[in-house]
Amino acid sequence: MRVVTVSQDSQLTARAPAAKVSLSSLFELIGSMRFAISLLVIICVASVIGTVIPQNRADSTYIDQFGPFWFEVLDKFSVWSIYNSIWFIVIMAFLVISTSICLTRNTPKMLKDMRSFREHVRGSSLRAFHHKVELATPRDLEDSNKAVQTWLKDQGYALKVREEPDGRLIAAKRGSGNRFGYIAAHASVVLICIGGLLDSELPVRAQIWFFGKAPIVENMLIADVPQSGRLSVDNPSFRANLFVPEGGTRANAVVSIGDAALVQPLPFQLTLNRFIVDYYSTGMPSRFASEVTVQDPDTGETFDRTIEVNYPLRYKGVTVYQSSFDDGGSKIDLLAYPLTGTQPGPFEVSKRVGESMQLPIGSTGREIQLEVTGLRPINVEDLSDGIPPRATVLEHVASVAGTAAGRRERNLQNLGPSVEYRIIDDSGQAQQFHNYMMPTMLDGDYVILAGVAIDNTEEFRYLRIPADEAATAQEFLNLRAALADPQMRQMAAARFAQNNVPAGMDGAALEISARRALDTYADSGLEGLSQFLENSVPADELSRAADVIVRLLGSTMSELRAATRERAGMAPLDPNEPQNIRWVQLSVAALSDLRFYPAPIIFSMQSFDLVQASVFQVSRAPGMWMVYLGCLLLTIGIFAMFYVRDRRIWVWLKKEPGQDSTQVLAAMTSQKRTLDFNREFERFELALGRLNKRKE
Amino acid sequence: MAQTVTAERDQWEDLTESGDARQVRGKLDWTDFLFFVVLSIGAAYALFAYSESMDIYEKWILVGTVPAVVWLGWLWRPLRTYMIITGVSALFAIWLYSGNLARADENFFLQYFFSSQAAILWMCLLFLIATVCYWAGFVSNTAAWLGTTLAWAATYAGSVGLLVRWREGHLLGPDLGHIPVSNLYEVFVLFAIVTSLFYLYYERRYATRALGGFVMLVITSIVIFLLWYSLTRGAHEIEPLVPALDSWWMKLHVPTNFIGYGTFSLAAMVGFAYLVKENGETTSYKKLAPLFILGVLLAAEPMVFRTDGLSATWMLYFGIGAVLIGTILAFRRPIAKRLPKFEVLDDIMYRAIAIGFAFFTVATILGALWAADAWGAYWQWDPKETWALIVWLNYAAWLHLRLMKGMRGTIAAYWALIGLLITGFAFLGVNMFLSGLHSYGEL
Repeated sequence: MRVVTVSQDSQLTARAPAAKVSLSSLFELIGSMRFAISLLVIICVASVIGTVIPQNRADSTYIDQFGPFWFEVLDKFSVWSIYNSIWFIVIMAFLVISTSICLTRNTPKMLKDMRSFREHVRGSSLRAFHHKVELATPRDLEDSNKAVQTWLKDQGYALKVREEPDGRLIAAKRGSGNRFGYIAAHASVVLICIGGLLDSELPVRAQIWFFGKAPIVENMLIADVPQSGRLSVDNPSFRANLFVPEGGTRANAVVSIGDAALVQPLPFQLTLNRFIVDYYSTGMPSRFASEVTVQDPDTGETFDRTIEVNYPLRYKGVTVYQSSFDDGGSKIDLLAYPLTGTQPGPFEVSKRVGESMQLPIGSTGREIQLEVTGLRPINVEDLSDGIPPRATVLEHVASVAGTAAGRRERNLQNLGPSVEYRIIDDSGQAQQFHNYMMPTMLDGDYVILAGVAIDNTEEFRYLRIPADEAATAQEFLNLRAALADPQMRQMAAARFAQNNVPAGMDGAALEISARRALDTYADSGLEGLSQFLENSVPADELSRAADVIVRLLGSTMSELRAATRERAGMAPLDPNEPQNIRWVQLSVAALSDLRFYPAPIIFSMQSFDLVQASVFQVSRAPGMWMVYLGCLLLTIGIFAMFYVRDRRIWVWLKKEPGQDSTQVLAAMTSQKRTLDFNREFERFELALGRLNKRKE
Repeated sequence: MAQTVTAERDQWEDLTESGDARQVRGKLDWTDFLFFVVLSIGAAYALFAYSESMDIYEKWILVGTVPAVVWLGWLWRPLRTYMIITGVSALFAIWLYSGNLARADENFFLQYFFSSQAAILWMCLLFLIATVCYWAGFVSNTAAWLGTTLAWAATYAGSVGLLVRWREGHLLGPDLGHIPVSNLYEVFVLFAIVTSLFYLYYERRYATRALGGFVMLVITSIVIFLLWYSLTRGAHEIEPLVPALDSWWMKLHVPTNFIGYGTFSLAAMVGFAYLVKENGETTSYKKLAPLFILGVLLAAEPMVFRTDGLSATWMLYFGIGAVLIGTILAFRRPIAKRLPKFEVLDDIMYRAIAIGFAFFTVATILGALWAADAWGAYWQWDPKETWALIVWLNYAAWLHLRLMKGMRGTIAAYWALIGLLITGFAFLGVNMFLSGLHSYGEL
């Protein structure tokens, strides 16, 4: 590549002294291969930048990444949307111009060359060729001529003969289509670039620059958008998004221009009847499809269609693609449980996905904002540990031999529906949550998973809430409220002492211990208890003391649970049954974790009414056929250039004065001197050599 | 010079360049006709028996495959033999399965030879031995001959593996089966096969086995990657298709692309051989250094595109790669003597890049057409698309300079090597580093 630029420079400096750079030499420069290749290098570099820096994100993302100074600098070069930037398009335009000039300059020459046999070459000049044969044959001129022509025709050559006073020149050529390949390939580049520009953002931007269209920046209803924010129904080139909820009908799509948008009216109405997701047995989606009804306002015609990934709808010059899907405003009934205070809740909240509301936090006078962000009706998860056990090399090989069917231990389970919501506190901090509706069997226990996003990523850490008999979190949250209530704690401690005091002893000391353990736990969780132990028990007795206190806490919590159930009017349980002991253990862990829960309230989904929505991409791409034609030309051109081999042969036959014999001088040439050409020349040489033999 | 090639051939083996009794490719003969009839019957059977599993485009692809395969078989006779044996073996394996995937563990032939993973493991093993044999071929003609035989055997095993894998996919579940070119594992097998076939063609055509060792280095690194990928990541397991990939376009786009990748890597290795030969007498480390660095970079390429740091295995691989490249350079003098002439190396490089470029062009166009159906735009500057364009422009510039400016030799060879680095990034790096619509394979 460096060679190119160097030679370009040298040429420029060589010409510079010869007065002003005239128009024609500029023209020549632009049409030169060096110029074209330099442009291509710039396009390559720009493209690399475009792939390394994620395109079309919000400005804030880039400011975070590059800092305000570099943001300003890079912003000057529109690095954020490099492929739509002016300079990139200008380079593309220059590439088109350069290739066009190259093409217009060379095509006539090539066409002429394709047709020409170059039969006017001087016989003797054939000696100057690298691939030449010279011999004398005993045959006479006519006979040699016939033999040579027959051979050439057999080999697929076209010929032209020039008579000379004492001889004859046969000019032959084959594979002129090679030149056509060159023309086709270069014309295709022009076609593809122009077609591509027509289908880019450029036409819409041109309407903003020259036709007074003004993209809308703020949120507003489509009906309120003024005329300047609307493109014409007949807009020849656009790419827009169309969001249609199930049961909804839309006739306007949205064209995004940077952070702003324009409304693109469509020449038809689209009603989404149903959005379908099919799944493989592995839980992976296998198909996304939208059943739609298209209504043509001009003709009144309506018809039903299914739009799928890979199967778009094409109607009235507009193509509608299945691009993605979303929630179309599902109605969700939530139960809200406060996580502070002594009231267990719940109270009911009903919202649609995408809606938000303000909620007071208990009696503090503060408020939080709840935003329901999503509903997932199905969650298929692999619940096995991702790490396979260590194996020997042989086992390893055996494990990958055989069929390619999956052998990994998989534990795929549908965990049922879940809701995603965001809570924004009064200081503006947002936190994302993901809660399942139904309990899941994890390590032998039925737990309800309540997810908290880790550092605002897509990943969640889950709180495991033990489920009650009704498969809800209600009992656990009742227990939480009871634990927060000093009276209830007191009652639990008293009952514990009463039930566990050895005969004939005073229960007061035991009660105090239980009360203190429970209070510490309620205030500062399991960590608080272990801290308390570390501070008050000598190191060598620590493990025994911990054991005692864990059992003490377990039994007291068991009493607290019994008291809570009593208050809620639930049937008493046998506290010594393993499942009840386990339930209390899980609750103790979960209640301790709950102190780190980043919200004063937890929502559990009670029921939902799923409404899905399809996101379509709609476009009109007038350059598409041009690009496709260009692609066809490119393919033909490239194959013609590489695989149609052009060859020229001249055979000069000259009568030996006064004799029957003939002198033969022949030369062969080709654009590409590959080894194949050498072999072909060898064959030609052999064939001519046969002339030496007398005719039988 | 042309005469010398022929002369060498006469000493080399008593066979013609096309690998069969034909002096030049003549008209189709009766064997081609028979081949055509057999294939047509097979295709017709598939059309009737599995009519419901294919859409109209897939049926046309099937019909189009018949003349294409016959044509390929006419073009190069050994390829036809290979296709026949591969096809028969795959049918045998399918018959052994008789619709029951569990038979892979019961049947001896399936368990050790013909189940897809057994066959692919054989491919890996045979390619590794073939590489060693080709290098031993610098001192022993028998070893070189063995290299050729093993390379054929490995290619055969790999293609049987892929064909059987296709069937296994369908046996797993009625909706799960698909042509095995849908993920990184499957295309790597295809990559090895295509590269090897092109190499074997040039080996026969230019009557030299000295390049085998070089080309097999690429295949070896493909094989090591494959083994690592299936042993540690379980990548060999058949996964259902994501909806965007579930299209007949895949059957055209992916294989075409890999003809491009295969020939580009072949060209790069021939370029490497060219540079080794050129530096055969060099004693200056300065001249050898860029070659060494490029070689090591190429060897390291499959390992750097990983997000989870470098394990000991990969560091070992890197070390061995560096040692191997160093060894080749250390023995440059005897290797250079055995390598074919510069003109031959240059010619192979040009031909490989020309074929690769033509097919890569077609593949990119097919990809654009597919994207138009699947994503709603034939071109949207997705990282993979953009890198495909960069690869394309790179080789377009190479061909321009060679054809128009007569670029030959050293620069062309270095450029072909760097071209493979770029291609490698477009192929692997983009999937790893740059998120986009094409992220099907993850490491």
